[in-house]
Amino acid sequence: MKFLFGFLLIVAVLLALPAVDFVFAAGDEPGKYLDRRVVIWNLFYKMMTVAFTVGSVVSGTIIWQVWRFRESHPKAKPTSFEGTDW
Amino acid sequence: MTLELQKPRPIWQIMFSTHHTDVGLLYLISSLTFLFLGGSLALAIRAELFLPGSQIIADSMTFNRIFTVHGTTLIFLFIIPFASAVGNYYVPIMVRYKDMAYPKLNAIAFWMIPPAGVLIWLGFADFTWYATPPYSIISAPGPAADMWIFGLKILGISSVLGALNFVVTILKCKHPDMSIGQIPLLAWSFLSSSLIIIVAIPTFAAALLMLLTDRLGVSGFFNPAMGGDPIAYAHLFWFTFHPEVYVLVIPAIGMMYEIIPRFSRKPIYSYNSGIFAFVMLSLVGFSSWAHHMYATGMSFTEKTVFMVGTLAAVPASAMHVFNFVATMWNARIRFSTPMMWAVGGIALFFSAGAGGVVNSAMPLDFTTHDTYWVVGHFHLFVMGTIAFGSLGFLYYMFPYVTGRLYNETLGKIHFILAFIGTVLVFFTQHILGLYGMPRRIYDYPPIPEWIAMNQIASIGAMIIGTSMVIFLANMIYSAGKGKLADTDDPFGLGGKYYYPFEAKNPSH
Repeated sequence: MKFLFGFLLIVAVLLALPAVDFVFAAGDEPGKYLDRRVVIWNLFYKMMTVAFTVGSVVSGTIIWQVWRFRESHPKAKPTSFEGTDW
Repeated sequence: MTLELQKPRPIWQIMFSTHHTDVGLLYLISSLTFLFLGGSLALAIRAELFLPGSQIIADSMTFNRIFTVHGTTLIFLFIIPFASAVGNYYVPIMVRYKDMAYPKLNAIAFWMIPPAGVLIWLGFADFTWYATPPYSIISAPGPAADMWIFGLKILGISSVLGALNFVVTILKCKHPDMSIGQIPLLAWSFLSSSLIIIVAIPTFAAALLMLLTDRLGVSGFFNPAMGGDPIAYAHLFWFTFHPEVYVLVIPAIGMMYEIIPRFSRKPIYSYNSGIFAFVMLSLVGFSSWAHHMYATGMSFTEKTVFMVGTLAAVPASAMHVFNFVATMWNARIRFSTPMMWAVGGIALFFSAGAGGVVNSAMPLDFTTHDTYWVVGHFHLFVMGTIAFGSLGFLYYMFPYVTGRLYNETLGKIHFILAFIGTVLVFFTQHILGLYGMPRRIYDYPPIPEWIAMNQIASIGAMIIGTSMVIFLANMIYSAGKGKLADTDDPFGLGGKYYYPFEAKNPSH
């Protein structure tokens, strides 16, 4: 559990840091946005790096669970709740 | 156990019934009818965009009409009524009450939907599901636009009546032995989404009236020629319809909360965090509406507030995903069709959420605004998450409704094709948006990358269409000829899970 909470904390920090950058990348002046195109795309790539990293971990976990905890897996065993009225 | 189709009854007995399962069946049939109608329009759109130039649709006005009615139909006439169908079947049973709190009101709320659908389909308006002003006021042809407005007005009243009924049923009619912290998470999802509807819908109801009087020329709320402001409409619209996104997605997540523990053969990992996440989503839904409007000249401070408000939805959504993943951990999972849809829905929910975080970052929003990125993003939510949760739950409740089993192989083929098709269409549309293709266009320049990606998306749509034909055949055949189900345990999971001790609500 501690590992999972630590992992989620790291993910939260990874998400928060680029978000702060984004706030300061945008200006108020109309017409200035295109001038900042390079900065914006740079932030986009950073964001995508985080998204793909987190996405890979979550998707990978789900795929592994689907394979490992399917009932036909050789190591599958009944849960402690089976046969009860949980 | 209520078996709707095993003991045939005259159709009028069901139509004029106020029993919650009869009304649920009516919601179910009507929502699935509109799913196929709205879906066929989607196929027409994708066939048109397969190549540049005119393909099968005569002109841009017709194209606008088709995507307007497509969006309106699938959001208001499929997703919301489908959730109502599930709520009607399950909420009274889950709170151990004999029916909905107000059965007649329940039937009235349903019977508002068919006339509204007829108005929308006979009118076939062309101003997008957003009813874009000032076009919708000045130039949109009547009576189509007026019929759309009246249709939406009726649907809004229907939603509010239905929501009031769910709230009263859950809060006031639940069994005295049952605390609010004991009702299943599916019922909690209906409580959360109903409260959002009650708060959000009146704003759009007012906006629709203002739009109508603007069209009649007696007011100029949103008409710049009369000193009005179309941006005011945008605020009113999104104040309702950003929370409405959560109205759509929360019941679908609630359905996953019913399916995933059941097929994992263990209780949900954290019931309380599920409730907390539902409540959080309901609240932050109201703090993020203006993220749809960064490009309208808002101040830097306003944009920052709404960006942070939007990002506040991330932890709550992540809690749901974590809860599902933790529930499946160390489980013995049976991958019957409902479970496949639910797990596929979680994966796509996460992908759609990641795209949403990018949208909410204001500098990036300017890059993706009104491009196909946005189309891909919200379709990944409505199809990949909401429709996946809903279709999975339809398979789950099929034995409950019909007393028969659907064909498992066809159900799995349906899922696999729909999953592949969804990824092909909506992931590709994200990239297409980054290549700069605007949304809502009838024709596009023959840029090779645009053509290739449009073709991939169109092929994906055809795959989804094929899967839906298989689904329809499976449902119709199995409802009449499918194997008889053991209605206590149709999926062979052990235990009784259709709440049978309370499922004997007599007809009345």
